[in-house]
Amino acid sequence: MTKCVKALVLSGYGLNCDRETAFAFEQAGAEASRVHINALVSDGNILDRFHIMAFVGGFSWGDDHGAGVIQAHKMRTGLGEHLVRFVERGGLVIGICNGFQTLVNLGLLPGIDKDYTSRSVALIDNDCGNFRDDWVHLAVDSSSPGEGKFFCNDGVLDSIRENRQVVMRYADRDGNPAKGRFPENPNGSLDDIAGICDSTGRVFGLMHM
Amino acid sequence: MPYRLEIALKPGLRDARGEKIKKRAVDYLSAPLEGVRVVQVMTIDAKLSEHQLRQVAGIFTNPVTQVSSYEPLPVEFDWSIWVGFRPGVKDNPGDTAMEAITDTLGRKFAPGEGVYTSCRYCFIGKGLTREMAAQIARELLANDTIEQWRIFSKSDWDEKEGIGFIVPKVRLEHEPTVSVITVESNDALLEVSAMRNLALNPKDVPVIREYFMRDSVRSERSAVGLSDPTDIELEYISQARSDHCNHNTFGGVFYYTDMSTGEKMTINNLFATCIKDPTLALKEAKPWVVSVLWDNAGVAGFDEEHCYVITGETHNSPSNMEAYGGAMTGIVGVYRDPMGTGKGARLVMGGYGFCTGRRDYAGNLKPRLHPRRLLDGVIEGVKDGGNKSGIPTTFGQVFFDDSYMGKCLVFVTAIGIMPRLVNGEPAHEKTTRPGDLIVMCGGRVGKDGIHGVTASSEVYSEHTPAGHVQIGDPYTQKKMHDFLLCARDEGLIQFITDNGGGGLSSSVGESAFHAGGCEVWLDKVPLKYEGLDQWEIWVSESQERMTVAVAPENIDRFMELSAMHAVESTVIGKYTDSGKLHILYRGKTCAYIDLEFMESDFPQWEFEAQWIPPGRRGLVEPVLGGSPDFNVLLCDLLERPNICSREWIARQYDHEVQGGSVVKPLVGVSRDMPSDASVTRPVLSSQRGIAFAQAVIPSYSRIDTYHMTTCVIDEAVRRLVAVGAPPDMIGGVDNFCWPNIQYDPKTNPDGKYKAAQLVRSCLALRDACNAYGIPLLSGKDSMYVDGHLAGRYGETRKVSGLPTLQFSTTSVIDNVFESVTMDAKFEGDLVYLVGKTGDELGGSEYYELLGFVGLNVPQVRFDEFLSCYRALHRAIRQGLVASAHGVYRGGLGVHLAMVAMGGELGMDIDLSVSVQDSDLSDEALLFSESTGRLIVTVAPENSDAFESVCGDIPFARIGAVTGKGGNLVIAGNSGRPLVDIGVDTLKRTWKKPFGDLV
Repeated sequence: MTKCVKALVLSGYGLNCDRETAFAFEQAGAEASRVHINALVSDGNILDRFHIMAFVGGFSWGDDHGAGVIQAHKMRTGLGEHLVRFVERGGLVIGICNGFQTLVNLGLLPGIDKDYTSRSVALIDNDCGNFRDDWVHLAVDSSSPGEGKFFCNDGVLDSIRENRQVVMRYADRDGNPAKGRFPENPNGSLDDIAGICDSTGRVFGLMHM
Repeated sequence: MPYRLEIALKPGLRDARGEKIKKRAVDYLSAPLEGVRVVQVMTIDAKLSEHQLRQVAGIFTNPVTQVSSYEPLPVEFDWSIWVGFRPGVKDNPGDTAMEAITDTLGRKFAPGEGVYTSCRYCFIGKGLTREMAAQIARELLANDTIEQWRIFSKSDWDEKEGIGFIVPKVRLEHEPTVSVITVESNDALLEVSAMRNLALNPKDVPVIREYFMRDSVRSERSAVGLSDPTDIELEYISQARSDHCNHNTFGGVFYYTDMSTGEKMTINNLFATCIKDPTLALKEAKPWVVSVLWDNAGVAGFDEEHCYVITGETHNSPSNMEAYGGAMTGIVGVYRDPMGTGKGARLVMGGYGFCTGRRDYAGNLKPRLHPRRLLDGVIEGVKDGGNKSGIPTTFGQVFFDDSYMGKCLVFVTAIGIMPRLVNGEPAHEKTTRPGDLIVMCGGRVGKDGIHGVTASSEVYSEHTPAGHVQIGDPYTQKKMHDFLLCARDEGLIQFITDNGGGGLSSSVGESAFHAGGCEVWLDKVPLKYEGLDQWEIWVSESQERMTVAVAPENIDRFMELSAMHAVESTVIGKYTDSGKLHILYRGKTCAYIDLEFMESDFPQWEFEAQWIPPGRRGLVEPVLGGSPDFNVLLCDLLERPNICSREWIARQYDHEVQGGSVVKPLVGVSRDMPSDASVTRPVLSSQRGIAFAQAVIPSYSRIDTYHMTTCVIDEAVRRLVAVGAPPDMIGGVDNFCWPNIQYDPKTNPDGKYKAAQLVRSCLALRDACNAYGIPLLSGKDSMYVDGHLAGRYGETRKVSGLPTLQFSTTSVIDNVFESVTMDAKFEGDLVYLVGKTGDELGGSEYYELLGFVGLNVPQVRFDEFLSCYRALHRAIRQGLVASAHGVYRGGLGVHLAMVAMGGELGMDIDLSVSVQDSDLSDEALLFSESTGRLIVTVAPENSDAFESVCGDIPFARIGAVTGKGGNLVIAGNSGRPLVDIGVDTLKRTWKKPFGDLV
């Protein structure tokens, strides 16, 4: 059987979840390739060969200027239009943890009204002030890096909710909303938000696990 | 004119980093603070246009959450403290900022231009004084060895000028020079050694002099322009001969006398006798042992295609000086060992062990850092080092004892995985060949970490050079790790080793032995800044560097891969067969030593060891009576720092990354109980797992280090058995941390006793490993766990740490689905106790609570225990066991509570039916720490099968698991309940002491 779904998993520059993310794609039936950020940036056309692009967890560029900031910058300056074109032609993008931060910094998320370049939401330092590794319960609509607290202003939050872009929320054991309680909502995210997508549902970002 | 960009969170947004600093300032220093906010500062020393400056601000400012300005931001404060790097310290954020700016502007930074990052902390607190602000800067915000700071009061502050422009550029107006050192007399050389901090052993000095005065040597040297030894040569010898690198203590001769019987024995070389010989013999019997005793880490079989690699290190001296940096460098450093084993391994997990004074110590001694701050720093260092390396920290332990205030212990352990074959060749083998190029990869060399090796071979004093602390950089190392694995898989690596202690001197020096010589071009070594002397380049311990041998035909591809991974690699020399360590600087020879010389007959170290048995030292069993309230006693034990929950530490460590976690560090229905061991799948496509555990029980050293050692090893074995690991495939790693054992009537009057403690511990290690069949895959010793602390009256007192052995164990589980955890699973399950309880309260937690040491230290009966472990393993493999948990510190009372708390279920226990020695008191029944015991729960339908698998091992069915919200009820030999208390109360009590920490 030839596998037809091809997934690109970014690696390098301090990213560290590339192997298990690639493995997960393989388990789900895709053919996954780990691609170094520099290899992709040096030839953006590589993206044409893939259906899915994964921005994985880790500490890209050591998180030195905020999680995912430099990675987003590198993608923006190095890949330019390739990335937006990938999304517009129907490619799927998932960002996990540091990758979620990158998508938000790129503006691919929340991508309200298909604006894939404006930064309108942020993931900031956890309220508990520390990294915390724990399992959380998520309620799917309809866990845990040092910077994972979802934040934006009220207007943006309203749009994200109205467009049904909130995909996952922190919940308690029984699936009820965490209502901001620690440790069920481990980072103090607004409205218990753990994961959002863009308005098409093709770009998805999720905090750890 | 430089530019200064200040970036801060928008007003009104919670500043989590500021809040954390506030909490520490209030907790540690009782600072009167209302708020702290952090301003990031970026100083750009380059000429940019207005437009370019706006672009730069745009890169680093998040429009949603941050504000920024090239003028000082008007963040309110009573005191503002600026903290930035000292000149020459690696500024990673500054480097990545330059990279991002270059990408954006398409403009390269010219030599001399740069970007420097720093922080300005804004403190609100009306009562805050300048002295207090200075203390906060010195003790909480800045690390004096690498950072500088300035303090501004509200009235000092110039709203236009702000902090001014601080550009920490290094200017060393120094021409690198090689000095020649006279060897005219032993005394003269020793004097130089003291002056230059070489820490040469007086006994080595005549051997060194003889070499440099030998006619044949002198004539060869004169041919290359050398006469007396150069500083770089003596640095090389000093480094290679240090106790840290050469293990002179373990290689020494011990004259051991038992002072009660008068019996004498001489042990020539503890390492050979107790570690090497037994392990080599076991290697013969156990084909899964692949490579031991010579490389940076041991190698053992994992499956048909893979081997795992393990080693353990300590980083005590640096962590004691600077807790955060020392511990971080420790964990990041030990991760380079598997990378430098064979042709290189991929890191898959790590472990930690911390021994410090009690967190709430309130006595008279004044250590450099109070144990609470030291521990916080150490925890954070391992967190940042481990998490940012992308390696799960799957297991760890903490042990509090005030004897560690002299010097704390920081153990770090690393496990990697490698394919059995790389490019058709065994991956665990490596060698250098004449003609191979010497390549240095990773970070650059600076003055940081010079003389770390020799300093750690000394007792801590006020003269210890502070510069020997390095700061780890996991980001740079992670990039290097990923790069080296690609290079390995392409077959580009002949040999690889890390640059840790001793720097190039050690890595190049040792690797040159394989080829039979080397030629090093020291001026090619990339430096952080100019001005280092040649010897400094040679011995600098700047971190995140590996030394790699690459065949000339592969060098282009190696460099290409390196560039793709954004890793700096430089050819700094070549291996030869000249027999010489030959170092040149700009074409001029500055070192020329026969490699053979390092293998010449240096005098062995010698130690008098006098053992005084515990009874002769006046230790007795306390006389106890009455009828204690066991409910209160158990709760008080559960609250003790060495028993209570330390969840806050484990939570900070990423144990899930890489996706292979099976049995996690925290288990149970609420994921809050410490697991007996961890189980991890290093190869995701395989169902095999590595079980890993560690143990320390230094309290028993107060009675007899022989039994301390056997009990530690037994505990580390039993922990693996509890999760379902096979007891016949266990590998061990020994990490000894001992006070100085060299007798001196004034400075170390009990040195002979401490030496005897070490001998007994090593003999016990040999006996236990032989009996249990444990090859020592790796190990290290760290001597000199002593410190001189200021006391109440201005006096100083020597404080020696308890003799400590950390023993780590690994085993391979065929099918991780068979592993079990420690928590009681279901109401109605039966509770069994495997093993026998004796009157062994000596050194126990219970005696410690009452203020006694006692005499009857637990003893290990290897054969009996091993048959228990094998039986239990069979039962686990057959799926008969619902939970298994060893009985460790605190005895049955504490560990029955653990099992119940894990499942949040009651248990009804009758200990009168347990296997026990006659005439046991209820105290001994509940709190004796007799080893070899495990608590097992079994579903009723499996009980017959379980009992028949157990056969004739000592075991008994002692009760049953009761319901949710139930009590832990324990009846003693009289049949009356000694303990009857709600499991929720137990858990609350156990979690209370450190429950507020995050």
